[in-house]
Amino acid sequence: MPNEYHLIVDGATSEESWVYLNDDAALSDAPSLISLSRLKTEAEALRARNASLGVVLEANGDGKTSMGEDVHELEPYLDMLSVVSIRFPIYRNGRGYSAARILREQMGFEGQIRACGEVLYDQWAMMARCGINAFELANDIPLKTFTTALGELSGAYQSAADMQVGALWARHAK
Amino acid sequence: MYRYDEFDHQLVADRVAQFRGQVERRVSGEITEDAFKPLRLMNGVYLQLHAYMLRVAIPYGTLSSKQMHMLAHLARKYDRGYGHFTTRQNIQYNWPALDKIPDLLEELASVEMHAIQTSGNCIRNVTSDQYAAAIEGEVEDPRIISEIIRQWSTFHPEFTYLPRKFKIAVTGHDNDRAAIKLHDIGLVVKKNDAGDIGFEVHVGGGQGRTPFIAKKMADFVPKESLLAYLEAVMRVYNMLGRRDNSYKARIKILVHETGEAEMRRMVEEEFAKIDASKMLAVPQAEIDRISAYFAAPAFEALPAQSDAFEAAKAEDADFARWVRANVVAHKQAGYGIVNISLKPIGGVPGDATDAQMDTVAELAKVYSFDEVRVTHEQNLVLPHVQLDDMKAVYDALNAKGLATANLGLISDAIACPGLDYCNLANARSIPLAQEISERFADLDRQYDIGELKIKISGCINACGHHHVGHIGILGVDKKGTEFYQISLGGSADENASIGQITGRAFTEDTIVDAIETLVTTYTDERQTGERFIDTYNRIGMEPFKERLYAE
Repeated sequence: MPNEYHLIVDGATSEESWVYLNDDAALSDAPSLISLSRLKTEAEALRARNASLGVVLEANGDGKTSMGEDVHELEPYLDMLSVVSIRFPIYRNGRGYSAARILREQMGFEGQIRACGEVLYDQWAMMARCGINAFELANDIPLKTFTTALGELSGAYQSAADMQVGALWARHAK
Repeated sequence: MYRYDEFDHQLVADRVAQFRGQVERRVSGEITEDAFKPLRLMNGVYLQLHAYMLRVAIPYGTLSSKQMHMLAHLARKYDRGYGHFTTRQNIQYNWPALDKIPDLLEELASVEMHAIQTSGNCIRNVTSDQYAAAIEGEVEDPRIISEIIRQWSTFHPEFTYLPRKFKIAVTGHDNDRAAIKLHDIGLVVKKNDAGDIGFEVHVGGGQGRTPFIAKKMADFVPKESLLAYLEAVMRVYNMLGRRDNSYKARIKILVHETGEAEMRRMVEEEFAKIDASKMLAVPQAEIDRISAYFAAPAFEALPAQSDAFEAAKAEDADFARWVRANVVAHKQAGYGIVNISLKPIGGVPGDATDAQMDTVAELAKVYSFDEVRVTHEQNLVLPHVQLDDMKAVYDALNAKGLATANLGLISDAIACPGLDYCNLANARSIPLAQEISERFADLDRQYDIGELKIKISGCINACGHHHVGHIGILGVDKKGTEFYQISLGGSADENASIGQITGRAFTEDTIVDAIETLVTTYTDERQTGERFIDTYNRIGMEPFKERLYAE
């Protein structure tokens, strides 16, 4: 989906150019985002490849209770990945917020966590607090709008995956 | 009670400004109603049958007189002179204009109140025991942890787009008045053998179209670990809760489909990871800071008996009747807990006018250490009133139509707004509650019948809690006609149970007679000291059914 979005990383417009590859598309040397299933089946070959790699974590699934791919499955491959792109199929499916925090806080992933799919104004700040640091924004949304949205709330009660210290703790910080 | 610090004030002010921007974007047409919906919902604004409705949170049901005066003022200025107290310790205004709601929220913020997370698929207003800190036998004031939970859950970045709404209730007492086993998470404050405070955690209760009693997930979670435990439950739910069908999206369905043991295993696994980080261990200094706001008021040392109180009862039979039904023993000698019924005979359950709210606020200031409580049974409470002052309080309430002596009696029904307001309802609830209370208007007869909880829902979503009514009534629609289905034996207290349906439904014209038949069956069958629910539990459904469907 080139040109439908622009990428914001760590609060600034990014010139990074990534391609989303279908499972049957040949890998090039360009930074590429692939599916979890391809990552699992081609892990060995991919490890030998000398270019940036990312994976897309899909939120839709057919399982009765499990409504998407399990972030824990990325564990063996984290050292190969520069980007984990979490799909929000619709803004109100908030499963990806948990996936992002688990990646950052429990799995220790230090690469880029990106939000793709329906990524809208009123969700950006929440996403950022969960450790998502890259956003695919519709082309008509300027960076300034993004910055404004992130600053609408001046603080937080609870600590999460970002640098903010929740008020319950900050009130007593030495 | 809790007072905002600068941080609390700033965050609520930020939210009002944010919502003002969202409303402006909507009013100017920049965003569609569809895009606006989740934003307004997160701020308690619903689009009802006739107008927008605003739901304001009353965290754990505690209000100061200043806050109650503000609720009265808002009813006058933005509504039609009344507000509706709901089953979730909220107040709803049915007629505010959308473009005025940001102004309303700004006024609300000036008294440290908000409408944050009173709707939407997020963690809702935390509810608790209306007798907190007034009743004998409490382990600890449940509002301390409720306030900590309120703060932790406010704008929680991970849990704002859950599969479905999420409700947490807390009790500090073995007699559960907060219906904790019918919540997504229910907490009971406990003290262990070492004297430490912790929480028994129940998960997966709920009403709606598939009612479940919550399962006990943990016997004792230490106080400092509770937020980590809650976050573990929430995360398991957010990751695995169903999003394919909104009727199956509550955590009760996940617990049911996964099984209690597997659910416990997953929660404990996640809890171990989160708790180990200590990131969510609330500092003792913060627990102490919040606890201090809930320190006991400066009660006077009084004799247990008040001569003035006894004399007034002897002189005024109506006062005596009201005391008998509505005043509950206080833990402090010489004081009583006053229940103010919002169920006048023939009235709308839970409605209060601006003048009534002002009166309650004034009484709280003068006679009850500036505190008012709101109950999940849609009544109000003055928690700390001296027996010596009881008659004065009664007279003032009576002058405003607030002294109906029916607490816990048949006319103290819970009813949802029903077809008169709600676009989901199949049938009217309020008129039925009114008819029942008129049929049983005689207070001595009501008192003879004793505790009988009637709960009425206008549709299967169960906002009127019909599943847990001793007598539950559910409005159903059959080919465009309103019918009412009856269930018996439900309970929302520490012995929580889901009622059983009696059989074929009744029409609008026969439902009140059917209730009368049930009551007569009970009074014929009861043994000494038995309440309706006790008799039902002893003799079962059959005797009731026989009389109900006899030709």
